[in-house]
Amino acid sequence: MAAVRYACRDGWRLIVRHWGMSLLTIFTAMSVFFIIGASTLFVLNVRNIVSSLENQMTIQAYLKPKADVKAAEKAIKALPYVKETKLITRDMALERLRSRIGEQAKAVMLLGENPLPESIEIKVRKASDVAETARLLVAVPEIEDIVYAGRVAEKLTRVSGFVEKFSIVMLLVAIAASGVVLFNTIRISVYSREEEIGVMMMVGATSTYVTLPFVIQGFILGLTGAFLASLLLGGTYYAAVTRLKDMLPFIPFIESTKLTGKLAFMLVCCGATVSLISSLMAVEKFIRKASKPL
Amino acid sequence: MEIKFSGVTKIFQPDIIALEDIYMQVEKGEFVYLVGETGSGKTTLMRCITREVIPTRGQISVGGNLLRKINRFDLALFRRDIGVVFQSFLLLPNLTAFENVAFVLEVMGLPPREITERVSEVLKLVGIWRRRNLYPPQLSGGEQQRLAIARAIVNSPSLLIADEPTGNLDTHTADEIMQLILGINAAGTTVMMATHNQYLVDTYRHRVIEIHRGRIVRDEDQGRYELHGGC
Repeated sequence: MAAVRYACRDGWRLIVRHWGMSLLTIFTAMSVFFIIGASTLFVLNVRNIVSSLENQMTIQAYLKPKADVKAAEKAIKALPYVKETKLITRDMALERLRSRIGEQAKAVMLLGENPLPESIEIKVRKASDVAETARLLVAVPEIEDIVYAGRVAEKLTRVSGFVEKFSIVMLLVAIAASGVVLFNTIRISVYSREEEIGVMMMVGATSTYVTLPFVIQGFILGLTGAFLASLLLGGTYYAAVTRLKDMLPFIPFIESTKLTGKLAFMLVCCGATVSLISSLMAVEKFIRKASKPL
Repeated sequence: MEIKFSGVTKIFQPDIIALEDIYMQVEKGEFVYLVGETGSGKTTLMRCITREVIPTRGQISVGGNLLRKINRFDLALFRRDIGVVFQSFLLLPNLTAFENVAFVLEVMGLPPREITERVSEVLKLVGIWRRRNLYPPQLSGGEQQRLAIARAIVNSPSLLIADEPTGNLDTHTADEIMQLILGINAAGTTVMMATHNQYLVDTYRHRVIEIHRGRIVRDEDQGRYELHGGC
């Protein structure tokens, strides 16, 4: 217990006595975690855009004349990738046509009656499910024809896959970079106390006793840096979104405070963990050197 | 704490023989001067005892611990029973005189009240109690020497290793330091002291081990300083 108390005191003492190095570490951690947070928000927004585009992807299944609509809907809903279905009656189809082509829609009525067939609008979970769903729809007997944007679906599938991979790589690179930067910053701080570590080992300090204050120091600095990064990120993100929304109103930016709150919490946890591991590795190296006999 | 060297040889790479075939036994509570020219191997021999140096050949046993086989944790415990006065003091510049001594006891996990009592006691003993809140660079050479001794004895070690504890000190201060070390020895602590101070060796007569070019060339009780240098 006494050892933990001394370690906490020494950890704090390390931060205060080497305040220049401490500020540098906090600033470094803050910059690194700001970049990680910003990358994450960028990736999440790109995913959100892709996902909203995917949501807009629909398959139009035109029914045979006098087909059993309920049976058709039931069969379609039973398909694996179908998320949502909507029956488009003939009147609704005509209304849609009118809204699209305006006065020219009158030409359709010249035939005397509404020639448009009933259809079911189908939304699937992902763009990549469109082609497979269309293939399965062919087997539904009530369906006469299927129309969907095949190429768009294909492109969206590719974009979605790329975004997925890119986001993982980007986050991994950012986390690895933060680990390396923090490791080196903490190592410099440990280096300035190399002699002290040697003397501590000489008077009988165990490795744990020597390590603990540095780990506490790293933990506090990393945590503070990540916390400040979260605050900064929250402020700048919402300011940026407010401006971007005016400039690009058609892009659905993420504005959920719950999500950004979760991100801030993750950043702080990540900051604490990465700095803890980095300082542990940095000190361990010096301890090994100090305890290695000639 | 007894010390036993059996055929110890230390060769530093590439081929510098620091110690050669050392056989030596120091009994518990004994006081031993280690004398010899600069570079003769005194410091290496002492560093073998604290296991900062591992011999190339031979065995060292200190207080029943075979140093070659000791693990990292046991080494820490072993070192808590040894006091070391380094030639260059090795005081921590960022800690006050009081803290420099206290941290040895903190390492041992002693409660704060006991640490304060023991540190105060030992700082008074070495005569730098009034300077306790100063940092090492603010202390004179003699005061730093006393502080290094205070740090080495605060844990009441069974063995005190002192490498030139009176180097660069005037005769009067050296005398005071010596009285201090003799007092510690009288309390039962084994003392091994490397020195070039002829006055001290000849005045306070004890066993003298002379090293020349890594070999023990003289080992006599109540010896004098006069170096034989292998002749």
